[in-house]
Formats: sequence, structure tokens, C-alpha cells
Amino acid sequence: MPKRVHGALSLTLAICGGAGVVAAPPAENSYVASLRRLTEQEYRNSIADVFGKEIEVRGSFEPTKRTGGLAAASTGLLSVTPVGFESFSKMANDIAGQVIAEKYRAKLPCAPRNPKAPDDVCAREILSHYGMLLFRRPLTATELDNRVGLSRRMTERTNDFYAGMQYGLSMLLQLPDFIFRTEVAIPSADGESGTLDSYSRATRLSFLMWNTTPDAELLKAAGNGELNTSAGLARQVDRLMASPRLEVGMSAFFDDMLQLDTFDTVSKDSLLYPKWGSAMATSAREETLRTVIGLTLHDNGDIRDLMTTRQTYFDRRLAMLYRVAFPFKGDWVKYEFPADSGRSGILTQISMLSMFSHPGRSSPTKRGVALQEIFLCSPTPEPPNDVDFSEVNNTDGPVKTLRERLMAHTTNKVCAACHQHTDPIGLSLEAFDTIGGYHTTENGAPIDVSATIQGRTFSGAQGLGQYMHDNPRYPACVARRLYSYSRGLKYSTVDDFEDAYKAFQDSGFRLRALLKSMAVSNSFYDVGPPGKPPLNDSTEIAKQ
Amino acid sequence: MKFNRRSLLRGSCQGALAVMGLPFLDCFLNNKGQAQTNGRPLPTRFNTFFWGCGLTASLWIPKKAGTDWDMTVQLKPLEPFRKKMNVFSGLRVPLDSKPNGQHWSGLAAANTGIAPFRGGEFESRTIDQQVAEVIGKGVRFRSVAASSSGDPRQSYSSLGGTNLLPSEPTPLSLYTRLFGPGFQDPTKGDWKPDPRILLQKSVLSAVAEDRKRVMQNLGASDRGRMDQYFTSVRQTEQQMEAELQRPNIEAKVSIPEPPSGDLVANNASPNLRVITPLMARLGAMALATDQTRVFNLSVSSPQNAMFVPGDPLGFHQSTHEEPVDPKLGYQPRVHEYNVASMELFAAFLKELDAIQEGDGTLLDHSLVMAFTDQAYARIHSVDGLPILVAGGAGGRMKTGYHIAGDNSPVSRVGLTLQKALGVSVDTWGKESLQVRSPYTELLA
Repeated sequence: MPKRVHGALSLTLAICGGAGVVAAPPAENSYVASLRRLTEQEYRNSIADVFGKEIEVRGSFEPTKRTGGLAAASTGLLSVTPVGFESFSKMANDIAGQVIAEKYRAKLPCAPRNPKAPDDVCAREILSHYGMLLFRRPLTATELDNRVGLSRRMTERTNDFYAGMQYGLSMLLQLPDFIFRTEVAIPSADGESGTLDSYSRATRLSFLMWNTTPDAELLKAAGNGELNTSAGLARQVDRLMASPRLEVGMSAFFDDMLQLDTFDTVSKDSLLYPKWGSAMATSAREETLRTVIGLTLHDNGDIRDLMTTRQTYFDRRLAMLYRVAFPFKGDWVKYEFPADSGRSGILTQISMLSMFSHPGRSSPTKRGVALQEIFLCSPTPEPPNDVDFSEVNNTDGPVKTLRERLMAHTTNKVCAACHQHTDPIGLSLEAFDTIGGYHTTENGAPIDVSATIQGRTFSGAQGLGQYMHDNPRYPACVARRLYSYSRGLKYSTVDDFEDAYKAFQDSGFRLRALLKSMAVSNSFYDVGPPGKPPLNDSTEIAKQ
Repeated sequence: MKFNRRSLLRGSCQGALAVMGLPFLDCFLNNKGQAQTNGRPLPTRFNTFFWGCGLTASLWIPKKAGTDWDMTVQLKPLEPFRKKMNVFSGLRVPLDSKPNGQHWSGLAAANTGIAPFRGGEFESRTIDQQVAEVIGKGVRFRSVAASSSGDPRQSYSSLGGTNLLPSEPTPLSLYTRLFGPGFQDPTKGDWKPDPRILLQKSVLSAVAEDRKRVMQNLGASDRGRMDQYFTSVRQTEQQMEAELQRPNIEAKVSIPEPPSGDLVANNASPNLRVITPLMARLGAMALATDQTRVFNLSVSSPQNAMFVPGDPLGFHQSTHEEPVDPKLGYQPRVHEYNVASMELFAAFLKELDAIQEGDGTLLDHSLVMAFTDQAYARIHSVDGLPILVAGGAGGRMKTGYHIAGDNSPVSRVGLTLQKALGVSVDTWGKESLQVRSPYTELLA
């Protein structure tokens, strides 16, 4: 028999004259546990799923800000500035205008008796249908009356039913209920914690798995209480995970975790590296995502192998940078580097190597700082203010290679503490230049790619890959980031999802095992008590 | 027929109610905005220019103070404007108990008068927003920010906290925001407001009415965020109100055609030299046509990533890694980047000074604060932060001076600017940065 997760449904449903689902007002003691601003991709995916892929989203989005290693963590902190809202407002009018345009209006759930006059029954049907999809919950009767009223007034002013609908829909798109993912919680009996209501569960699940708004079936499962039973929840999790759309959701996660948006601001020196063009960034980003999704989802592989695999995916541009022959035809091909290529997993893909480098030179420090943070969840403090790097930079002097120049840091105690943390990682990658090309000498001297971290000595990228593969902090870091990402947290530990982490370990570090175990567990939907969301406090950062 | 904003707000037209639909809109359209030309004085504008990593003290600070200051090698690109600007040297940035956040504390102090606790965050609204609240009302955009190196995050305009007002990252996006949908060209005879704006504005009023519902059951920080949300809604409503009125302009300008495609905006200096004047020109056009009165242009992040092709280090990395030349006494490559930064500032001023309006140029009717994050980037020191202020604020700011090394807190410049712009403020800044005496010698 399915176990009841919690008794009360937060929203009591009522079916109202065939006009769709209408909700009673939220339960009296419910509270908003978090408000997360939609990211650009979440917004775009939602519009495509609610209104159809043919509807174009034209406009700009306010940037997010990386916090605790994830842009997702900032969505629970940022608001909407006047500049951002101006853009949301324009987009809303534009999207709603397309939805009611003659070309597409046949898709609306009903047609008015007279297109030049108000028709409240049809307006109600349209607004409750799209309202539920956009707000990820049914509208309350008051909300619905209000939107229908606005549409009627606008129809009266324009003598056009569809213009009235345009502004009614536009209003839905401009409300925070759409622009923010609102997580509503019910407090526990003792008031010490809370748990998400069923629609908020559906929302958290859907954005995690598919990076979009919940589909009709998931909303139905929220509405009929299925998501509040263990069996029902597991059924929906299985359904979401069986869909190819899981790739979309996990690509969004890895794009955030691997900081691939860094490419938006990367420029390379066109004199020193004429092969680089801005299209390279797009290809390199995709190469990495294809590799990650291929290994974790298609092959159900061990996530640690991302550090060592020699398998990758190329397009024609990347093949040129990697100096590998590309077939006469085709867009993307699977490729396996030979064992002596010096390459090791995503560590040596063009994305990672080029994002964390200078425009015209590799940077062991930047690479070391980035890889420590991304793969080991270990951020590096800022250098002291008055540090003088100039002695290490004179390439005309006796110090030829970057390694020798960097080694100067270790003679200075202040520098040594952090540089011993970052530089060995970076130095082992020194055979790769700022755009990911492979070379064995620098300024005429052979490049030494040996490194020692925490007593372990290795050589080159393949040595680094094996070190990362064997480091238990790496899979733990991926799991923590996934958990933080799903909940919009700045910080988490594996203790926060102990059982799921154990399932991850037991499976041999399969992403699907982690994801499923996390999503079907009741505690995944637990939140802090009213007024105190869990672990989203900046003091937690200090523990990192 | 006379039209004013109040009658529009009431939704009435010749006494008839707005609910009558299209005829109402028609009577609005027939009015070609004549009600606007009422001979008001030209507005004063405020602009900022940000570049990262500062200048080199031995090469930019004039030896002589006053109006007779000696031109220096790093200020040389600004020679054409020396009579229209003031140079401030020797400004202190006391941080009290706050950390010296690298590449942030200095710019935040100059920009807010408050030393920040954390990098990337401002403790209050930035000066452009404080000024915009006073001079920017009633025009389409309260403020506009642009980044000529292509990064929307590269903005030093903020309502406080973590929310930055994003920059337009390319000439095309800046053009579209300013002169794309919603823009009616006030230089053309056939100016008329877009009737759809009234409808869109009604939607915003309806959104604003949901505020009370949304505010229910929120924790304190989310309340603050939703407060900001509805303030933004209100400001967009005000923008639409402004779009219904023909701006009163005197400049003889014509709005350029939209760019056919976008240009590459990044940190390569050849691109910056193309993009910066282009964005400055678009900003100047927006100011001249009274679409906005506050325009913020940045050419880099604080860790200035500008690079000359062939230089593997670029500006920021050079400040830390290039040795001080023992013979010259400074970092020669850094010097080149310093001068390049001033050339970009000069390009901005040139565009403002090229537009004639009334008895002078747009620059004469503006103030432009150029500021940066470091006084000596090599060691991240902030005392001695350079600030340059151009423009005469419509005659309220005296220009041509070098205000030398009197050890004033950097916030004294911000206070003086606000006084010149007619902002009613007696003190500005906090803790050791709090100041009450402006540079009265500069105020006309």
C-alpha cells in the first residue's frame, strides 16, 4: 500500500463548469519557502512547452551571478531590476501577441462566439488553461475572475476578443508567479520544518529533470495527490527519467556546474591564435556537454571516468583545433583519442583549457583555481593585495618556462599556501596552450608536466585525470552541486542527502542512481520553517 | 486640443471615458504632440565612464594645481577637453574596518561614498541612480548602461546589493533598446504615440494591483525582492507614460539607421576602439533626444581584460606581472594601456561635445564622472584614486581645474557633482567617507 507522505493537500481542487481546474486559496498556514527567478533557458523552455515551439522569445535577460560555484544559487537571491522588467514586459506583449495571432489562434482551447466582443466563458477557459501551465498551479477563483475581467475590459476598448486575450495572457507572463518559481510549503506539526506542497514538488522535479515547467501529466499527478504518495512519486520520477528530455535537464545542470557560461566573455588573441573564432566557443561547449551526457546518461557510466575517458565528440571546427581528420560529411562524430595523445577526459577538452586561460597564454593558476572549485568544491582565497608578480614574468631573463616562473611563488610563504593548492593541477596541464592545442616545448625549453599534490606525484594530464578519478572529493562534489542546483542553495554537504549519496556510491557513481534516489526521497522536498529557508544563509559559505 | 498626462491617466478624451475604445485612441493620435513644446530649459544630464585598473600616478598627475595645470602624458588624449573638465588627484579612500576588496573597494567608494563589505556588491544605490531619481523622472529611461566589451554583467549602476542594472552588451542591443520598438522619433514632424502603449500600461496597472496578494506569506528577504519587483513594474509604467509624450528637444540630430548586423564586442583593443565611440554616439543621441538623462558607459571590468593583439598578458595581468622598468620608473606596457583607456574616455567626450543644443554642446549640459577601481593596480592600492569629471552641468560646474592632493575622501567629488546637478543633499557617504563640504570653488 502506498505510504502517505503528508496528509493535507495544500490546494483543494474544484472543477468549474468545464472551464478547467480552479484552485481554492492556498492553505492558511502555507508559506513561501523560496522564490527563484527563472533563468533564460528555463523561461525559453517554459514558453516553448506552454505555447508551442513556433512562438519566438525575442528579448534580453538579466544576467545571473555565480554564487558558491553555481549560477542556480543566485536565482533565489536576485530580484528583477527595472531594466530586467522592461524586457520581461516587452517579451510578454510580444509572446502573447504571437499566441493570439491568426496564424496560431486555432491552438487556443476555444473560440469566442463573436470575435469582436467579450466572451467570458471562452476567456476563462483560455486563461485557466494557460494560467495553470504558466504558474505551475491552478489559478484561484479570485485570480481567474480578475484576469477574465482585465481581458473583458481590453476587448471592450479594442473591439477585439483576441486583443483582449493578448493582454490577459500578457498579464500572466508579467506576474512574479510566472517569472519566479515559487515554492510553497506546509509547516510540520511542530513548526520546526516544512514540506513542499504537491505543485511545488512537481515544479522542483520538472525543472531539475527537464529544465522546464511541469507538463500536464505532472500537474495532474500534483492535483490528484499522486505526488504525495511514495509509489506515485516514484512513478513520475521514472517517467521523467525515461524521457529523452532528461538530457536537456542534465545538460543545464552540467552547463552550470562546469561554468560553461564563462565562454560568454572569453576572447582570444587573434594574432597569436588565428585559428580561434567566436564559433569555437559554441562548439567547445557542446563537445563537453555531449561527452558528459553521453557518458552519464547514454552509457550509464561511472562519473569518475569523465576525468580519464579518451572518448569525445567533434565537429569540423574542433577537429581542426585538435588536429584530427574529419570525415567528408557530417556534423558531429564520436572519436577516441589514442592513448599517447596526452588527453584525459573533459579536463583536456578545449572548453576547460581555453576558458581558464589568458587571451594569449595558458594560465596554470587560473586552471588550477577553476578545477579545484569546479571538481573538488574547493575555492581558493584571493591573493594578498600587495603581492608582486613581476619577478616571475620576465621571459627574456634566465627563467624560461611558466613552471619556473611560477615556482618563484613557493619561495614566498604567503604565496605558497594557495599556490601549492592550485599550481600543481595547472602545471600538469601545461602541455596545452590557451586554445587547447598540444605542445611539448615552451620558449625552446621542454615542458615539465610533473606535479605533486598532497604527497601524490603524477605527470601530465593523464596523471591529473587519474588523481581526480581516484579522489573521493570529486564524485562528492558533483553530487553536492546537483543537490544545491536542484534546490537553489549556495552550499550543501553529502550529509544533507545521505541515503542518495550512498545509493550513488553503491551504484559505482552512476548519475541516474543519484538523481533517482534523491528525487524519490521525502526529505528532498523538506524545507526550513517559515521565515528561515534551509542552508541558504551566507554564513554557510564559511564552512566550505 | 490640449492634452496632458493627467488627462491621459484619467483615461478621458474631450470629457468622454476611455472605455469607449478606438475612437478614444483616434482622438489621441490626431494630436501631434504640440502640447509638449513649451520652451523649458534644457535638462542637465549625468553620465559615468568606467575603466578598470586605473592610471600610473607618476604619469597622470599634473604638478601644478588650479587652472594652469601642466598637461601630463597620460591625460594627453583629453587635451581637447581640458577647459571642459576637472582633474582630481590625491583622493583618499578610507576603508575603516572594511577589507580592501581587490578591484572593488575603490570603485564602490567612489560610486556610493560607502566602503563595501563584499566584492561585487554595493551598500547603497550607486551615484547615477541617486542622481537619476532627481533628474531622470518623466523621461523614457531612468538610466541606460552599456558595456563596450560585450558583457552585460559589466555594469557599475546598481540599486544596491547584488542586483546590477545590466549593461547593453553590443551596439545592436543598445540601438534596439533606445531606438527599437517603443521609440517615436521626436526629431520627425509626424511624431505620434503608439496607441498600444495605453493598453500595455493598463496591463501593468493590473499587475501592480496584485502586489498585496504576492506579498503574502513571504520571508523578510523575499519581501525585499518582491518590493524591488513591483518598483520595477512601476518604473516601466512610468516609462510608458513618458512614451506617450513628445520630448522637448533642441538638438539637431537625426537618429541613425539600425545597424544591419552586430559587431564583435570583446576585450581586444582594436574592437574597443570601434565599439566605444559607436556606443557613445548612441548614448549621446539618446541624451539629445531626451530618451534618458543618465547614460553609463563602461569599457572594461575592474580587472581590465583589454589586450592588444600579440600581448599574451593584457592590461590586468600586466599590472601584476610586468616589472617596473628601473630606468623609466614605471611599467611601460601598463602605461600604454593607461593611455589607451584615456583615449576611450576622450572618444566618449568627443561624441557628447559634437552635439549642439541651445547655447552649447551636449557635453556643456552634462556632467561625466570617469572613475576606476585602483590607484596603483600592481599592489591593489586605492588611496590616490584618479577621478576625472567633464562637462559644465549647464553652467553650474566650473571647469578647467586640477584639484590637487588635498587628502579629501573620494566621496567629496560625488557630493560636489550632486550639488551641481541640483540634488538636495547635505552630506554624502558613510563613516570616514562621509563628507559635508563640496568643492565650493567649482560650483557656479
